[in-house]
Amino acid sequence: MRAHSILTRRLLASTVPVALLLGLGTGPARTDPMIGDVLNSYGLPGGVDTPTAEMLPDGTLGGTLSYTERARRHNIVFQLHPRLSTALRYSRVEGINDHNDLGHIWDRSFDLRFQFLDEAGWRPAVAVGLQDFLGTGVYSGEYIVATKTITPRLRASIGIGWGILAGDPRVIDTTDTGGKPNVDQWFRGKARPFGSVTWQATDKLRLVAEYSNDEYLARFLRPNGTITDARQGDDDPGRFNLGAYYTFSPSYQVGLYTLGGDTFGAQFSFALNPRNAPFPSGLEKAPAPVRPRPAPSADPEGWSGAWSADPTAQPAIQTALADALADEGQMLESMALSGNRAEVRIRNTRYIQQSEAIGRTARLMTRALPPSVETLVITSNSEGMATSSVVLKRSDVERLENTEAGRIAGASQLVDADPRPGDLVATPGLFPRFRWNLAPYLDLGVFDPQDPLRYEVGAQLKASYELMPGLILSGTVRQRAFGSMEQRGPGIPGQRGEHYTPEEYVSDPANEYLNGVPRVRSDTRMYTGNDSPTIPELTLAWYAQPTEAVYTRMTVGLLERAYGGVSGEVLWKPANSPLAFGAEINRVRKRDFEDVFGFRDYEVTTGHLSAYYEFANGFTAQLDVGKYLAGDKGATFTLTREFANGWRIGAFATKTDLSDEEFGEGSFDKGITISIPVSWAIGTPTRDRAGSTLRSLSRDGGARVNVNGRLYDKVRDAQSVKLYQGWGGFWR
Amino acid sequence: MITTRIHKVALSALLIAGLAACGNDDSGNDTNPLLIAAKAAGGTVARVRGDREAEAPAPARTPEQMAAEALRVNPAPLIMVGFESLGRTQVMAMTGQNGAMRTYMAPSKEALILRDGMVIGTRGLGNDLSVAEPQTEPLIRAGRAGSAPRVMRYYSGDGLERPLRFDCNVGPGPKSGVVVESCEGHGTSFQNNYMPQGGHLPVSRQWLGPRLGYVTIQTLRP
Repeated sequence: MRAHSILTRRLLASTVPVALLLGLGTGPARTDPMIGDVLNSYGLPGGVDTPTAEMLPDGTLGGTLSYTERARRHNIVFQLHPRLSTALRYSRVEGINDHNDLGHIWDRSFDLRFQFLDEAGWRPAVAVGLQDFLGTGVYSGEYIVATKTITPRLRASIGIGWGILAGDPRVIDTTDTGGKPNVDQWFRGKARPFGSVTWQATDKLRLVAEYSNDEYLARFLRPNGTITDARQGDDDPGRFNLGAYYTFSPSYQVGLYTLGGDTFGAQFSFALNPRNAPFPSGLEKAPAPVRPRPAPSADPEGWSGAWSADPTAQPAIQTALADALADEGQMLESMALSGNRAEVRIRNTRYIQQSEAIGRTARLMTRALPPSVETLVITSNSEGMATSSVVLKRSDVERLENTEAGRIAGASQLVDADPRPGDLVATPGLFPRFRWNLAPYLDLGVFDPQDPLRYEVGAQLKASYELMPGLILSGTVRQRAFGSMEQRGPGIPGQRGEHYTPEEYVSDPANEYLNGVPRVRSDTRMYTGNDSPTIPELTLAWYAQPTEAVYTRMTVGLLERAYGGVSGEVLWKPANSPLAFGAEINRVRKRDFEDVFGFRDYEVTTGHLSAYYEFANGFTAQLDVGKYLAGDKGATFTLTREFANGWRIGAFATKTDLSDEEFGEGSFDKGITISIPVSWAIGTPTRDRAGSTLRSLSRDGGARVNVNGRLYDKVRDAQSVKLYQGWGGFWR
Repeated sequence: MITTRIHKVALSALLIAGLAACGNDDSGNDTNPLLIAAKAAGGTVARVRGDREAEAPAPARTPEQMAAEALRVNPAPLIMVGFESLGRTQVMAMTGQNGAMRTYMAPSKEALILRDGMVIGTRGLGNDLSVAEPQTEPLIRAGRAGSAPRVMRYYSGDGLERPLRFDCNVGPGPKSGVVVESCEGHGTSFQNNYMPQGGHLPVSRQWLGPRLGYVTIQTLRP
């Protein structure tokens, strides 16, 4: 699916990113490798079922729904790197019966594809792929595939496959807990060829023919030692598949296909690319332009600095500037003013890119300050903490307006902000500050085989009362209106597919332990389905900054739906350092399932030491080591790719000292997080985000308290890596 | 009993549907991913229809009437601008001047930045040109033929400022007094037309970018 017109693609791909011009050490400018136009039923570029060596444009996030009578596949694909595609799949596989006795199973799987050679001259593009290499392995297989452009409208692929791609399914051990790479099986067993041809019939229509050895067969090792074959559908679908795919806007595609001629399928897919926003520059109003200073002869008094002796000068200037900044969504929290230097401390409530907030503030300062003020200091505040100061010369702002953003970046300085300079004057009337929001909410629950999509709709009131900068009382009240989410106990041990009723579950305190491990997350559904008002969160949080680079947070109250208590955090992160260290400690107690202010007996202290590193190319790594909710000890590794426009896509994995058996199905906790700024989708400026965390299974090992307002994300927006990554918005 | 229950559900469904988000909390909320899809779809519809919220249904007026009224009520330097792709013509008034650079704004706070008639940037149009660096400018002002590069920097959707470089030829147009700048690069081409008068560019038709297309600019009051 071609997500861009040729021109925009070139605009996006073949030019030098501004980060490079700023000398941030990103790699050389490059073009995307061979891009696929059709997504196959596994959600990756390909034929009908078979893979090709094609990739998607870098950063693409897409989804595919592909339905036949043999399988329903729901795929999410992310192009993590220009040459590395990743896919996450949740499929209904027909013809297999498990403990749920539904005649089908719901299965999760994860794929990787790496294109190690791009097309060049006579050489085809070549990729290697791992399909369903974690988890129970119904779709397990590996492949090496080459794709060649024959004519501009015709592409052919040929490859060799193992596992289900060779019609030789892996034997699934039904007693295994799964979730770990099945390395010893990779590229083993029978190997058979596959191939496909894609013809671009018109600009929008693509026709595909392929030869596939996938027999839609799964093979199981039963607990009694027998190996059984389970076929998806009545018979082998056949070797030759045909498909037609119609792209009806740059981001959407529908397809119809047949497997062997007797099985028919339909498919819908979409692809979003962070680079391809509907309104790339946003729809926010034009900024007020720079006002250059008059010649010294025209305003000798202003240039002399004598005005600064007048005690009425600063309040008048501060009020005028605060009003102008408020119009731009910037709170002027405080200001220091002398004859030749002005410092403003702003809280950005509107723009996702901090550079835009800083650029607009700088221009407003040129309009509000007397001519003798030459040094402009713009300090970014977050919950009362001063996270960095950008120091600009006013003459540079005047000189470099309407030039490329890299030039003002070169003329600016980013420094740690003094937490409490003596000459700062707070803007009167800002605090206490009351904020509220009443809106509908929609909660979705997925990944339950007996009930694949659960939902709940209701009304939610959120309010916060900030007594002084950094001291915030906030809470949320929810009232359910309707939905299919009902209260339910966790699964009964030894009776797969059966669950405790809420009454059974609470009747015996011993139920809240499984194999000696306290149920800290696996009974989450006991908290749902409440018809009376619930309070997901009610906290008092205090943010502080003891020294320039050290930030602290203390949160007390109902921290999340399932836990309440005290949470303390400290973070060291200098403004110019890509490296940060943090520590968090929580003393929490499990909340009652229904009583909003009640607690249950389980109480635990958890804590982590964290190290964070921001790579210059948009990747962020985080390592947390410590003690988790069930008292287990271990580590979490998180890798996130972040774009200058605020898109964030990350993956995490947690391994603790619980054994695979104690942990249960999935072996260790893992998942992905997606967060997309609303402004990217709709163009109007806002810091709101939409997103979700998908984790493999809700288990008790490796679980943490979900405390809101963790410091790392509060502090980082205005610091070197993120600020300069998004510096392109300075003059917007 | 069952009827009351259904009633209750239906009633609360209506209540929820009617509950458009309200409040004064303006920063950093988490919203549901479905909302982003709905809003994006709504945005697409609005874009297809070509409407923007800023555009209140104004009485239909000819450009001449608009120009006459603007000249009467606004003492600032004025230009008349026709956005061909947006299908609208509007008067923009100068709101700031920095050296030779002038910022003209419409009442809806969309801006065009000109250097004595040469387009240098746009703001608030959704597909803005951040800054243009036309090395052809001296040739155009002097009405001389020649070739030179032109760099156009855009705000790209991923939050960066990205340059596009074009190779341009400047020469006389088919009509006398018109200078044509023909540029090519990145698989596209465009032609800017100017009517230079004593080094100034009071009338022109210039290309803003791949999505905004051409704009015609006429100086009403220098």
